Amino acid sequence: MGDVIVTYGISGLPHYDELIAQLEENSNVLAATPIVDGWGLLRMPYPESEAKQSETVQVWGIEPISFAKVTSYDSSLQWKTPTENQRDWLLLDVITENQELLRDEMQDDDWNELVEVANSASSALNYEDVGLWAAVQQIMSDEQWSRTLALDERLGNPDAILEQGLTLMQNGRDGIVSGLHVSEGNERQKDGTYEVVRHDYWWLPRFDGTLTMLPVDSEGGVIEPESVILPFVNEFQSGVFMIDESRIFVPIHTAQKLLHLDEAQIVDEDDPTEIVGVDPAKATSILIRGVAGISANELEIIVENIYDQFIAGMPFDTTVMPPSRSNPGLTIHTWEEQQRSFTGPVEKERELMRTLFSIVYLVVAALILSIFWSIVYEKTRDIGILRSIGASRGSIVWIFLQYSLVIGVLGSALGLLVGWLITKNINEIHDAMGNPPLGMAIAAFAIAGGITILTIAKSRGGQMLPIVLGILGFATFAGIGALALFIKSIGGLVIWDASVYYFSIIPNNVDWPSSIVTAFGAILFCLIGAVIPAAKAADTDPVKALRHE
Amino acid sequence: MSNLILEGIRLKKTYQLGRASVPVLRDASLQVHEGKWVTILGSSGSGKSTALHLLGGLDRPDKIDGGSVLFKGESIWEQTNRQINQYRNSDIGFVFQFYHLLPELTVLENTVLPAMIGGFGNATEKSRSRGTQLLEQFGLGHRLSHRPRELSGGERQRVAIARALINEPSVLLADEPTGNLDEATGNEILDVLSSLHVEGLTIVLVTHNLDIARRGDSVVHLRHGQIDHPANLAHSGGIAPIQAT
Ligand SMILES: Nc1ncnc2c1ncn2[C@@H]1O[C@H](COP(=O)(O)OP(=O)(O)OP(=O)(O)O)[C@@H](O)[C@H]1O
Ligand SMILES: [Mg+2]
Repeated sequence: MGDVIVTYGISGLPHYDELIAQLEENSNVLAATPIVDGWGLLRMPYPESEAKQSETVQVWGIEPISFAKVTSYDSSLQWKTPTENQRDWLLLDVITENQELLRDEMQDDDWNELVEVANSASSALNYEDVGLWAAVQQIMSDEQWSRTLALDERLGNPDAILEQGLTLMQNGRDGIVSGLHVSEGNERQKDGTYEVVRHDYWWLPRFDGTLTMLPVDSEGGVIEPESVILPFVNEFQSGVFMIDESRIFVPIHTAQKLLHLDEAQIVDEDDPTEIVGVDPAKATSILIRGVAGISANELEIIVENIYDQFIAGMPFDTTVMPPSRSNPGLTIHTWEEQQRSFTGPVEKERELMRTLFSIVYLVVAALILSIFWSIVYEKTRDIGILRSIGASRGSIVWIFLQYSLVIGVLGSALGLLVGWLITKNINEIHDAMGNPPLGMAIAAFAIAGGITILTIAKSRGGQMLPIVLGILGFATFAGIGALALFIKSIGGLVIWDASVYYFSIIPNNVDWPSSIVTAFGAILFCLIGAVIPAAKAADTDPVKALRHE
Repeated sequence: MSNLILEGIRLKKTYQLGRASVPVLRDASLQVHEGKWVTILGSSGSGKSTALHLLGGLDRPDKIDGGSVLFKGESIWEQTNRQINQYRNSDIGFVFQFYHLLPELTVLENTVLPAMIGGFGNATEKSRSRGTQLLEQFGLGHRLSHRPRELSGGERQRVAIARALINEPSVLLADEPTGNLDEATGNEILDVLSSLHVEGLTIVLVTHNLDIARRGDSVVHLRHGQIDHPANLAHSGGIAPIQAT
């Protein structure tokens, strides 16, 4: 999302392209891009009745090309190429919208056949693949077919959908790229992929939406709302649920027009026919990305300096001056500072978890301590033997120091490895737990069965241990199998609900400093736990230690 | 008479049992000459083990007026920790009634352990071959890599004797080495000790058994926390009846 953000609230920053040009001249700045943001109402194309649904959306007017340089916009786009089924829907739309044209061009027989195929497809496509593409191609002449494909760019060019997302344009019209959760047409599956309801009927969504925004005049009063009808050209997924459910991108000029932040003429107050100047287009914020190796805080200072130069360099007679840095409405922040209100709760939660785990950590430390204590305590008699044949106190402590060091280091390394593996695969584990594969249940039952047979075979001798272990093993594996079946039968379990947390996947980056502190702490507790009783045993007279039972 | 090698002078040892103090050794003195086999005879609970532990440097006499243990004329408890460790390690060899072998180590490892401790952790080839030789001498040549729990009591005791001898100590202190063994096995062990004694080893052996006591050169009686004057078996012509403390 850029490293540093320059923001000038609702009235917007004039001459922003000038500022961007100056920013991009600096060798520490990789790219900068203007944003016009504001809240709007987006009337969705669904449901099919008159009472369409509206969503409150955060509109970002962007310049897609420079925006993609500052952010990972291009890789966040959800639809790269249409599936065959989605293509059939597009084809059906093209046929429906161009009925007259096609009818004139086609022979009656062909036309009738096309109508029949299209009509049956329009209902069947809601449930299943119908192979409309091939059917229509067969009806039409080659020339006819290629002319039809040319009616929608996306039919002939499989990359068009992505290109339209990257340019926010479709067949010459401005378009919307909306967050994946803005439209209710997208349903998240248990495995994290998305399916479009009604067999892709509401893909993208398929029909235009109406975006309404409230422009504000220079006094802060509301002027007439402005609306525009736009097609949905693609969708994006940022991974942050709150963004994905409310943000849409439109071309910057569209947003500027809706918010009256576009270039306008200034007329004389007394004589509205006389033009006295130009009110330049404005951007509400500018996202700046630094080159690799430069921190956000360093970049912030650089941007502040460039901004001061930008203000100083403004011609004296500029009609609409950008605000100076002393203006409280203008802020230059790093991305993290900007997101504080949003990351704040997450940070709080992390703190809570950290406190909780510190307590767990202490409990585990006490456990390690007591386990080692009892291991060494058990060895008191052996320590007495060693002492009685001349081992020094120091050498006794040294033996246990080495022993606990080896155990501690091995244990910590193993712990780090397992922890790392689990963390890295947490999303897969979560999905598998939420939706256990049938094979897991079968395998668990098979093992339980195997254990039963083994137990019966082993228990002939009348020993108790195999029976006890057998029952425990059977219960464990049968339990796992039953649980897996149960979860399956209730349609899976979602433990991580993306709408409760902020991220649509479980964050899985490893906090190495904490891990290493934890690992070294574990080693330390092993050492302490072993050395204290070892030292105590080494200090007792050999005879007393020998008497130890 | 030959050289005095180990001497206990007016040893006192009092155990504290709660408030009560139990004097076990009141005024026990003993002289051991080089090359001799001295047997300490006493009834159960008379303080034989206690006396032997004091002689072996495994336990301290009472702090106040507790007497002293002299090895080659030097008081062992007035020496540094390091010297006491060395005394336990190589000046004497100690054989316990209950063997006290380390369960995790093999027979050979147990045997060379004092050599490892004395040699700062390195079991040299020399000590290993000496250990092997000793074990072979005691009829355990085929059990070198067994664990103590796989051996019989008599076999374990022979390992313990081998361990006590690995550093070629000046004195072997044996605390009822046959106490846990049947008579035949016990006699085998005593035969081993006898042959070592013939080779010149100084032995102090503790027992409550008269027959065993006869094996040594001299017998002393431990009763009422005191050691009776050493009596030459041949001269005394008999052994005084054992008395309870
Ligand atoms: N650590 C101790 N604390 C208290 N009393 C002890 C301790 N060690 C020994 N005693 C007591 O001192 C007395 C002598 O013990 P010791 O083990 O020396 O006798 P012993 O002659 O070797 O007997 P046994 O023939 O049964 O081995 C016993 O009454 C014993 O209970
Ligand atoms: Mg005893």
